[in-house]
Amino acid sequence: MSQSVHPFLPVLVLFLAALVVGAAILVISGKILPAFLKPNHPRPEKLTPYECGVPPLQEGARHRYGIQFYLVAMLFILFDVEAAFLLPWAVQYKGHLGTFWPMLSFFGTLLVGYIYVWGRGALEWEC
Amino acid sequence: MPTISLTQSLVISLIQCVLVVVFIFVVVPLTVFAERKVLGYLQQRLGSTRIAGHLGGLTGLLNRGMWKLGKVPVLSYWRGLPGLVGDVMKMLLKEDILPTKADKFVFWIAPALSFVASVVVFATICFVPGTFFTFPTWVPFLGGLPVSGGIADVNVGLLWILGMATVGVYGIVLAGWASNSKYPLLGGLRSAAQMVSYEVPLTLSLLAPVLISGSLKFSEMSQAMAVGVPLWAIIPQVIGFLIYLTCGFAETNRVPFDMPEAENELVAGFHTEYSGMKFGFFYLAEYVNMTVVSAMAAGFFLGGSWLLPFGLQGVVNPYLASLPSWLVTLLCEPHAAFFAIKIVFLLFVFIWVRGTIPRYRYDQIMAVAWKYLIPLTLVNLVLAAAVRLAM
Repeated sequence: MSQSVHPFLPVLVLFLAALVVGAAILVISGKILPAFLKPNHPRPEKLTPYECGVPPLQEGARHRYGIQFYLVAMLFILFDVEAAFLLPWAVQYKGHLGTFWPMLSFFGTLLVGYIYVWGRGALEWEC
Repeated sequence: MPTISLTQSLVISLIQCVLVVVFIFVVVPLTVFAERKVLGYLQQRLGSTRIAGHLGGLTGLLNRGMWKLGKVPVLSYWRGLPGLVGDVMKMLLKEDILPTKADKFVFWIAPALSFVASVVVFATICFVPGTFFTFPTWVPFLGGLPVSGGIADVNVGLLWILGMATVGVYGIVLAGWASNSKYPLLGGLRSAAQMVSYEVPLTLSLLAPVLISGSLKFSEMSQAMAVGVPLWAIIPQVIGFLIYLTCGFAETNRVPFDMPEAENELVAGFHTEYSGMKFGFFYLAEYVNMTVVSAMAAGFFLGGSWLLPFGLQGVVNPYLASLPSWLVTLLCEPHAAFFAIKIVFLLFVFIWVRGTIPRYRYDQIMAVAWKYLIPLTLVNLVLAAAVRLAM
């Protein structure tokens, strides 16, 4: 039951359609409307970064921030790769005992790593 | 089955895309309006009532009709609806502010990325399995051709949805980074960490439907979860559904988890420096993402375009076969209307939760994701696998 010459062709069409709609809205609101309707009165104060109304205390904003964010990203990579590894298993599982025990051992390995990470305090948010 | 040429399939896809884009631009403003009204009623006020429309307009007609029926039109659910037009006009016409320190190209591209990523997810969501409608033969170029109920019901549909939903994180991080201001940067980092953390239990909770249906195709998963499973599938998947919904709230940055918009600590989070339509894109993307999460929850757990959720349809169907035929068609066959009703109900749940549950602290959010939801989803998955094995 296919309505298309290639199953992924409509995905491409929707992607292009979304791009066109997005670009059209941006062009209308950013290029066409300012020509006659939209106000445009930039002032230096208006264009400074917003810090509750006072002048910015430091130059720029890209200073050091918590290492915790990197830790979360690393943990995400680990666990998401495992989720990606589980997807083909879940599709092919179909209630076979032959794939159940290997996957349970995989879960066991995962659990060891998870307990280790928890024990080291990587899941505590400190900031 | 007539053979189909490249041009014809392109035209049909384009029609479907237009339908989806129209669906989005109808559902999103109505959700925004419903949010105002429902939140208002939840807090024992009337919601937005000021812009009631001209007396000659639709709302004026309704209000006058309500007067005649002896009801006070202040309670009319449509009051405030014309305000949506004002919202759109304001977003389009507000001054665009480009901070001097901002990274101009990234600042411009981030909201568009957010929007495109949220719309493209709709490609593999299937509103009705099989054919949605067939063009009548008198239609000049497309006569007799079927239009399927989803844009592209491809065999890796779920992967496409998950992948594209993750791309939305880039929009938020890039927006926070490009603003080069302290609040947006912190808001962007926080919401990235939050969305990334909830991505894991979200994927794992969706593995149970994959496991039960043995497919990644949206229509097959939806069918398997609605009619294909016997009674045992009901109980475990309630847990999966609740976990999925929790993660969905976190993924769309909705209220119990709305860290990027924690007003009292981060001003407006990653979109502090945005104004006009660039902000409008983030706003739009949030509501489109809500619709996507609702559509997935409806499709995988609430029975999709069938009437009953959690596999109950498959249990009930044999008992219903003796009913009159039109009733059997209504109760046992898939309809796009059922799917739409379920999406609307879940959108209402989003708003309901916003009016009911206060915001968590950030460390609590991360603890919920890593310490509770991930083990729970793994247990849910192993249970589903064991039950499947036992069958």
